Amino acid sequence: MVRVTGLSLDEFAAAAGLHPDLVRRLVALGLVDAASDAAGRLWFPRGQLAAVARVQRLRAGLGLNYAAVGLVTDLLDRIALLETALRASRSPGRSSWTPIT
Amino acid sequence: MAAGEDFYQILGVPRDASQDEIQRAYRKLARTYHPDVNHDPGAEDRFKEASEAYDVLSDPETRRRYDAFGADFRQVPPDVDPQTWRRARAGAGARAGTGPGPDGGFSYSTGDIDLEDLLGGIFGGRGRRGWGPVPGADTEAELELTVEEAYRGVRRSITLAGGDGARRSFDVTVPAGVTDGQRIRLAGQGGRGSDGAPAGDLYLIVRIAPHPRYRLDGRDLYTELRLAPWEAALGTSVAVDTPGGEVKVKVPAGTSSGRRIRLRGRGLPNPRGKPGDLFAEARIMVPPRLSRAERRLFEQLAAESTFDPRGQQ
Repeated sequence: MVRVTGLSLDEFAAAAGLHPDLVRRLVALGLVDAASDAAGRLWFPRGQLAAVARVQRLRAGLGLNYAAVGLVTDLLDRIALLETALRASRSPGRSSWTPIT
Repeated sequence: MAAGEDFYQILGVPRDASQDEIQRAYRKLARTYHPDVNHDPGAEDRFKEASEAYDVLSDPETRRRYDAFGADFRQVPPDVDPQTWRRARAGAGARAGTGPGPDGGFSYSTGDIDLEDLLGGIFGGRGRRGWGPVPGADTEAELELTVEEAYRGVRRSITLAGGDGARRSFDVTVPAGVTDGQRIRLAGQGGRGSDGAPAGDLYLIVRIAPHPRYRLDGRDLYTELRLAPWEAALGTSVAVDTPGGEVKVKVPAGTSSGRRIRLRGRGLPNPRGKPGDLFAEARIMVPPRLSRAERRLFEQLAAESTFDPRGQQ
């Protein structure tokens, strides 16, 4: 059983400034994560407000359709992970001395 | 738009560019500088500039007016003749002292149109159709610190350049004991939100600069401890610089190059637990030139000693 916390659909829609139907559609498209409780109501983690804002910015700023927004957000998340890993591996390890600059 | 920056320059196209070229240039810039793709704090402004330039140049009628009237095209009523406008502008310029115009006496009133209002309308028009207020994107910038600053903590004044040359400055207090790659969040200092929505956050990513004396591994510091052969053989006590100040290190007799002497807790502090250690790595140095007496003593040692450094591998 999923522990239900966060915002209800109406609360989330109000906070995001969107119509609840549009929010429901974004969930159906997998662009916003939500949990549903036993009664089938949707619950949104607060962090998803940032996700929905990114969907809006990408759609508006680049004229992407929802399928493309999904692809772009997935790729951006993967790039972020890779960049974090790259940064970690770039930091000086045991084997080398920091060069004198 | 920055003063003097021209829509064609912003898009990087010639003034006679075709609609296709303009569209291609804009799409490329939009992909490069979209605030969700590019976390550089200046990217958002570049993106907005490019969008504004494209808004104007992609519409043949507005483009014609822009070509005719320049940056002030929005203030010009629809039925004004470009020649008349140019003469009026030149005259106004001469009176303002920016240079003599060809026809000094002519004046044309622009009325009280606030350019910012018009620009605001353009920004609002692009892309936000059907959306409410949209919070701003998070941005990232690197913050380079020295080992000493990471050790002690530091107050830094940070200046970030916007795309239009505008600069934002703010003071950041970096706590003692940050590590390489750590992110410091400045709430509300990221990309601007639209329609009064909250701004995103700015993340400063700590980068600890290479240091001539210290090597860093997490919170542990490594430093070289140079020893004369007799110091290494007989043992000694050496003063070692650490970020927290000088420390006396006891070097045990029989120390070879590579031995690490641990100074517990002398690495970078940890606000949430055990501080790092400092490791002094022994490195034996020999005099590049021997005096007569030194040579004699080394020769005596060579004759006397049965030590085989390669035999013990």
